Amino acid sequence: MDSIDIGIVVTSVMLVFVVLGMRVAFAAAGAGLAGLIWIFWAKKGYDPAQFTWALGVAVKTAGQVPHSKIASQALSLIPTFILIGYLAYYAGLTKALFEAAKRWVGWLPGGLAVSTVFATAGFAAVSGASVATSAVFARIAIPEMLKEGYDKRFAAGVVASAGTLASLIPPSAILVIYAIIVEQDVGMLLLAGFLPGAVSALIYGGLVVGMALVFPKFGPPVGGFSWKERFVSLPPALPILFVVVIIIFFIYNPFGGDAWGTPTEGGALGAFVVFCMALWRGMRWPQLRDALLETAKLSVMIFTIIWGVLIYVRFLGFANLPGAFADWISGLEQSPMLTLILILLAYAVLGMFMDAIGMLLLTLPVVYPAVIALNGGPDVTAADSAFGVSGVGCAIWFGIIVVKMAELCLITPPIGLNCFVVAGVRPDISVQDVFKGASPFFVADALTIATLIALPQIVLFLPGLLIG
Amino acid sequence: MAGASAVRTDDTLLSRLDRALFRVETLLALISGLAVFSLMLLAVVSVGGRNIFNQPLPGYVDWIEQAMPLIAFLGIAYCQRLGGHIRMDILVGQLRGRALWITEFLTTAVILLLMVLLVWGSWAHFQRSFDFNAPLWSRDSSFDIRLPLWPAKLLVPVAFSVLCARLVLQLWGYGRAILTGDPAPVAVPLIEDAATVAANEAAHVSGFEAAEEPDAVGDRRDGRGAD
Amino acid sequence: TEWNVSLWGKRRAFTEHVEKLAELVSEKTGGEFTLNISYGGLSKNTENLDGISIGAFEMAQFCAGYHADKNPSITVLELPFLGVDSLEKEIEASMAVYNHPAAQEDLGRWNATLLMPSPLPQYNIVGVGDGPKTLSEYEGLTVRATGGIGKAMAAVGAVPTSMSASEVRQAMDSGVVKAVSFAPHAHMSFGTVENATWWTTNLNPGTVNCPVVVNTDALNALTDAEREALMSSVDEALAHYVDYYNNQTMKAWGPLLEEKGIEQITYSDEELAAFREAVAGPAAAAWIEENSARNLPAQELYDLVIATIGE
Ligand code: NA
Ligand code: NA
Repeated sequence: MDSIDIGIVVTSVMLVFVVLGMRVAFAAAGAGLAGLIWIFWAKKGYDPAQFTWALGVAVKTAGQVPHSKIASQALSLIPTFILIGYLAYYAGLTKALFEAAKRWVGWLPGGLAVSTVFATAGFAAVSGASVATSAVFARIAIPEMLKEGYDKRFAAGVVASAGTLASLIPPSAILVIYAIIVEQDVGMLLLAGFLPGAVSALIYGGLVVGMALVFPKFGPPVGGFSWKERFVSLPPALPILFVVVIIIFFIYNPFGGDAWGTPTEGGALGAFVVFCMALWRGMRWPQLRDALLETAKLSVMIFTIIWGVLIYVRFLGFANLPGAFADWISGLEQSPMLTLILILLAYAVLGMFMDAIGMLLLTLPVVYPAVIALNGGPDVTAADSAFGVSGVGCAIWFGIIVVKMAELCLITPPIGLNCFVVAGVRPDISVQDVFKGASPFFVADALTIATLIALPQIVLFLPGLLIG
Repeated sequence: MAGASAVRTDDTLLSRLDRALFRVETLLALISGLAVFSLMLLAVVSVGGRNIFNQPLPGYVDWIEQAMPLIAFLGIAYCQRLGGHIRMDILVGQLRGRALWITEFLTTAVILLLMVLLVWGSWAHFQRSFDFNAPLWSRDSSFDIRLPLWPAKLLVPVAFSVLCARLVLQLWGYGRAILTGDPAPVAVPLIEDAATVAANEAAHVSGFEAAEEPDAVGDRRDGRGAD
Repeated sequence: TEWNVSLWGKRRAFTEHVEKLAELVSEKTGGEFTLNISYGGLSKNTENLDGISIGAFEMAQFCAGYHADKNPSITVLELPFLGVDSLEKEIEASMAVYNHPAAQEDLGRWNATLLMPSPLPQYNIVGVGDGPKTLSEYEGLTVRATGGIGKAMAAVGAVPTSMSASEVRQAMDSGVVKAVSFAPHAHMSFGTVENATWWTTNLNPGTVNCPVVVNTDALNALTDAEREALMSSVDEALAHYVDYYNNQTMKAWGPLLEEKGIEQITYSDEELAAFREAVAGPAAAAWIEENSARNLPAQELYDLVIATIGE
């Protein structure tokens, strides 16, 4: 067997273990270690006397991956972004946002649902994780909507879907993870997520207004707020703006002056502002301890998958599987765009059964080089490329599309986690109801993805400013 | 997609060991959380130092790289205790009774084998960076300000060993469940359907809301409640 | 025999000697002995010595400054203001140290045999704003510089700032740092020249030393013909490297500076002498003291380098 066959066999066995319910991180690490042992032993002609040598080399090779890959500055953004999200609850930012959104856009058809979309988009600017965002707004927004006579499914669907905005609008843990796997600039990817996130929010908002116009029973507007009441609602929500401004100014100074620091510092400083705010709002040690434990748990969960998958990736490196797969994909005799769409459809299917982060980590090491090769290589210019984007541009553009794709899977049955979370917060609403309520947003997301594929400029405009 | 899971307790030796280990795991996880917190303070010092005093923190990147292993590894057994590591439970979610416990026992045993090997591998990685006869015992140092790397590298086998202890307890728990056929054994994270998982997630939010509504504290349902 | 070679990044001037070596070795042995070059697939660059020590791959490249404690002996080649002014001199000085028993013993701890250097020209500084024309104008200048060069910058009052290489471009464009110290090819590949306004032509504060090593056991296991094919190709591979760096990279460098209208700051001999006096002597003394404490013949190594460069 040559090393590519070994790669295919080991990868298949890993997928079997994942389906059997083994924790993804350990399934990947185990497959990687087993593959390394196989490759080193094969190098010695499967000589039984050499097995212990092969085992030792494989174990030591795998054993250096966790520390060497995790001790990285770029990865430090992930726990920071998670911490910001938890601290924001204590800072009372979520309620303030929803109240402000209600007073400003509540008068639109389906006004409370529109408010939910925009308040969620605002909260997304401090929260790095989708599921947590949906959970918060299910408690804050759904009761208000039901009180105004909104359709139950509709209300739940809005909250489940709007939560996915948190992963596009920076900060976003999943975009950082993507940037690390594909070795692209983290700041650039975060910046790239902003416009698509905003476009997504607008498409959601438009969809809600449209649906409320066609089916008035979905939900009435809520009006009657004076301008004074509107302006009074803004100050409590202002810290969000402040944090957003800080993070943006640390990535890129829109006024052309010096940026204030690096994205790493910006994320951490944003967390500090929210922390001060939460202290001021009465957070004390017991709540802080809880927030720290939750942050630790979510961070270790993500980091364990990262190093587990990277052990598997190390094995792939020795087996040269990504190179072979990239050669195969770029050698296909069909249009590159068709291949790209098929890849995205495969993600949609996989996403029905898997968590977004696990799915990206497992597949990107093989799929990403293939997509780059499909476009014409890492150094291709936009003019010579298959998708009309340069090598670096393709890395960013594909990242945003694939993250949006993974987020879409949070609202598709059978395991759309956001929908389960919303149903969990509201025992009176069944999961099926939430899935039904979210289905129009599924269509909106498909539209958004098609738009992003057709118009890469939406993704690449802001990073382009950074490159100059 | 299991998130936090409930772990049952009783008076057996297994359950008492489970809770004792959980206290250690919780302490380690808390240290990990404090490390995240310190990253935040480090950035404040660095930015403040640079912009106000034109004196950036020397070796800022080196310090972050030292803190990352604290964050990434110390909580690994805590997360396993609570069933927090991501998995696909579509298939095992359908299983009941002994069939379920046998499957869990097998996958857990594979993980234990893997982690024992990785304790060996990461210990070797530590050993290569450590030298009793060198200044600061260091045989590997960071890029900029040359901090010794061995303490951070040592954390990995230590955290992995705690995870191994946790896995042994879980194997014990699953093994006992296979023998007794107990539908809800102690000391192992019980599979919950997605709805229960979501209810736990929701309970978290109410935990946070508790900051504003003191009377809502009671209904948290993550593993801590089991103590 | 098939060897795995762990490099990082992508194919560039910095890796041309290894590519050439692979070509020559395969040619000379009629394909019997091949080098499989991997760019980052086998190890992280700071762990390449670990991989050699484990036996995961047979050949690797790394830079001494990434981890001084792993290879203290050869960090002598990274001291500031040694006075190296060509790639050929850099090769001579490197090989003199690589052939010294103390360096061989030092790398022997990793089961590694030093094969050849990857000579880099002296670092120089690219910056935005008004460039420092004299020593005193370095006072307060924020510069991305690490290790020995960072210390050299601090000695003249500049503010060395620590960040990873991938963040450097953005940090300079956005003003977090005003200047960056790299070798010319790195200034081009990390894009620091894109918005720069000045460049120091002859500050030459030092460089990094990046050897190519082989696993000693694997080297001993080669047949005589294979070992001969490998060792006899080193000089030709290095010659190809120097030719490539001088005629591809440096040829692009001058016109690029012109095209971007980057001011070239050249210091007078007196100015440079003042620099050396403030930095070089103290740095060398500190290095010798520290490494004598590690039981290295530090003074001897330092003298060897100075003598070789002075030839
Ligand atoms: Na976000
Ligand atoms: Na799904």
